[in-house]
Amino acid sequence: MSNPFSYVFSCIFVLLAHGAMLFNVFSNGNYDDVNSVVVLASVVIGLDLVYFTIMPFFRQQTYAVDFMLILILNMGLIFQSCFGGVDFQLKHFITVIAALISCRIGYLVCRDHRWIEDKKKYIWICIGILMGIILLFTGSRSMWISLGESTSIQPSEFMKPLLVLACATSITEQQKKHKFLCFNIVYENIIPFGIIGAICLFQWWCRDLGSIPTFGAIYVSGFLLRICYPKGKFSKKPIIIAVASLAVLAVIAVMLAPPYVKEERLFVDIWANKYTTGHQQCQALIAIADGGWFGKGPGHGFLHTVFAYQSDIVFSSISEEWGLLCAVMSVFVLLMMVAIPLVNPPRSYYHGSMCAGIAAAFSVQMALNVFGSCNMIPFTGVTLPFISMGGSSMVVSGLMAGMLVAAQSPVFKAPKRKKNEKKPQPVQPVQMQNIPQAPPPVQPQQEIPPQPPINYTLTDRRK
Amino acid sequence: MKSIKRCQHIITLFLSIFLVGMVVLVVKINREASFYMMNSDDHRLGMVYDRKGDVLFDGSGRGEYPDGYFIDVGNLIGDDKGQMENTLVANNIDYLNNYSFSVGLVDKGGKAAIYTTLDHEANRAVYDSYMDAKGCAVAYNYKTGELLVCTSLPSLDVTRGYDNLENMESGTLMSKAMYRTVPGSTQKISTLISAIEIMGRERLFSKSYNCSGSFMNAEGKKIDCHQEWGHGDQNIQEALENSCNPFFAQLIQDSDMPLERIKSQYTKLGYAINGDELKYFDIDGIQCERASTTLTDTGDFITQWGCMGQGDTLVSPIQLMMWESAIANGTGKMTMPHLISKVTDVSGKVKKSADTEFSKQLFNPSTATTVKQMMKTNGANHYAWSVPGYDIGIKSGTAQVKEGEEENALLVGFVDDPAHPIAFCVVLENKYSTPVSAEQILTTMLNNLCA
Repeated sequence: MSNPFSYVFSCIFVLLAHGAMLFNVFSNGNYDDVNSVVVLASVVIGLDLVYFTIMPFFRQQTYAVDFMLILILNMGLIFQSCFGGVDFQLKHFITVIAALISCRIGYLVCRDHRWIEDKKKYIWICIGILMGIILLFTGSRSMWISLGESTSIQPSEFMKPLLVLACATSITEQQKKHKFLCFNIVYENIIPFGIIGAICLFQWWCRDLGSIPTFGAIYVSGFLLRICYPKGKFSKKPIIIAVASLAVLAVIAVMLAPPYVKEERLFVDIWANKYTTGHQQCQALIAIADGGWFGKGPGHGFLHTVFAYQSDIVFSSISEEWGLLCAVMSVFVLLMMVAIPLVNPPRSYYHGSMCAGIAAAFSVQMALNVFGSCNMIPFTGVTLPFISMGGSSMVVSGLMAGMLVAAQSPVFKAPKRKKNEKKPQPVQPVQMQNIPQAPPPVQPQQEIPPQPPINYTLTDRRK
Repeated sequence: MKSIKRCQHIITLFLSIFLVGMVVLVVKINREASFYMMNSDDHRLGMVYDRKGDVLFDGSGRGEYPDGYFIDVGNLIGDDKGQMENTLVANNIDYLNNYSFSVGLVDKGGKAAIYTTLDHEANRAVYDSYMDAKGCAVAYNYKTGELLVCTSLPSLDVTRGYDNLENMESGTLMSKAMYRTVPGSTQKISTLISAIEIMGRERLFSKSYNCSGSFMNAEGKKIDCHQEWGHGDQNIQEALENSCNPFFAQLIQDSDMPLERIKSQYTKLGYAINGDELKYFDIDGIQCERASTTLTDTGDFITQWGCMGQGDTLVSPIQLMMWESAIANGTGKMTMPHLISKVTDVSGKVKKSADTEFSKQLFNPSTATTVKQMMKTNGANHYAWSVPGYDIGIKSGTAQVKEGEEENALLVGFVDDPAHPIAFCVVLENKYSTPVSAEQILTTMLNNLCA
């Protein structure tokens, strides 16, 4: 830990934020027994303290994402425990723990970019396996696997981090051309296209159309990085072509959308159908209006009587009870977490492209949830990361947060050499320092002998 | 490092788009929150007032009013019960919402209100003047567009609710001024305007046709005059004053009145011709039907009657009144009527106020001046005794309805007085069933408005 003071101050900030929210619950909340508030407060503050104690054991260069994560997760726990009356939500708490654990897993798996990049084939295979699981274990054209009366998982959610990893790339990989028939093909550029095509078809088959924009956004981020490669800047022509292609695809998708999607999602006048297909959105908007800027108070809302109030329209549920200001702020916490790579740049291109994919996934998913429930775009019924109730979403969001952490605190290790590979020459310090030197005399007739690849053993540049 | 910056640019792109969306969302919610609340089960409505501060609708439900206090405006102002859709309250209920996103719902002391241009006292007097008769009367200021009187009978007292809905008479839940009816000879104003526009004033006035009590048209069908023994030779002024059907039938059939020109002028006036899609114009959210007629051949019986206000011709009383404004103003442009003077929000701040608006040019100002003078002459010659004390331009009409079983009396016109620029239309249904006359109703209206 480079700066223990900043760590402590960050802890205090998170504790204060949660404390203020809990105080609001205590003073304005709707509860019969004060013990329900005490239980909630104990769990939230307890989890904060435990997390703050455990975190230093993971030696990271920065903990910014972690603080944001615990802040938003416990905010979500408080929100969820207050809808319609203060009552600690054990189920949501378990998913919070799962998210924190999956965050650690994501971090450990992705912190070494060379290692994870080498495993790309396995990532592709995992996506295939997930599709197979969905085909075999979900019901007929469904996206859920039931694990009991009240528990089910959504395997397609797990494809999101896998797609992020599949789309993440390094410059070296982008240059590797392979001979295929008479073409020189860059697998790295072609395969993600195949994967996204397969995923979109698969999602359409599963009737999980709401997730397609998220997958699409992840792919678009990877695609943009690839098409702009050799020039090292965003060239207009390919971007215009890409945007035009995307628009054409969107129009085709709308035209080919199933009738129920067109009638109940894309072209529905919610106010004309406020008792049928537009009911959720109408009630969500009414709840936001009823809550105003500062809300009706924790537990005082009516939206808990509406289907999916904890997940699909959770933004409105928060707005109603805590106010639009608080709901927007909680979304901003999420946004800040995703924006951390802008302040603290990733250390490798691979991690950078991974962060871009995660930003795309989170921002599109937030947009689908928030704007969809508020009738700005078609209502898709996706979750709001870290806030909505839902185990699959929580675990996957945690995993992606872990990937963000990994980009902030990477581990650069030299790859293991194969047995028949010669030991590389150590890099001379003078080469790393970039001291101007006189150019060596050019000998055009002399053939340059092949050199083994240089492997840098990098250290953290900020130390 | 440059390549990592590229990754950051993509992150910035996605987050920026989302941020813009959030800003739009917050603005949208702030602007539309009142509408959302109006769709909830929990809302607090404000009041509707007339031009003098008299209550026309009490959204709070706490006020106490005499029995039948709102009956003259029941089917125009309406209420929030959802039984009447084409009323002021139904179409402007958002304005009455005592709510704002910042302060929430205000139970008491909310100042959300609609201030109308109506004169409740005059409106009530006109309503009462119908006695047991039915019909509608509408009047407005043709300079400013303020709707002053608009009453329709039968009506209902909205404070009594709708328990007696099944026994209510037909037309109770609608303001008849907004819906089309047979205009009778008031239609001849439109034909007169068309004739002047097509052939010019001099040529029209040079024409003379004979009325012998009936006229056999080009199709071989007889068009009767209301005066069995006929009017003899007449010019257009005399024919207008006599409301002579054979004269107008011959005028329509005249070779100087090509059908296409008549259709063109009627279209300018706002008619839907020969089954065109029926259109509406809007008065503060209240939908008013536009006129319609059939014009197929100038020698055709239906076309000729259509130009005289029978046949297929239908016009709403409010549109008849609006044409009068184009004449009375002398501009050939209608003054568009409005019912809402201003709207205040929950804190009493004015959030909307009315402006005077005019239609596009319907006919030339010279035509307006000519028709105005002709109508004033008609008023002076024939209505000085029945509507005394006013310099009015007027045209009467008798409309046969229900297969000729009943006749409605109509009066359209204007007061040529800069202090009281009032255009009006009075409809008295089944005029032979009541001792009241349209002139009496008009006199009551003008006496109250010009007092």
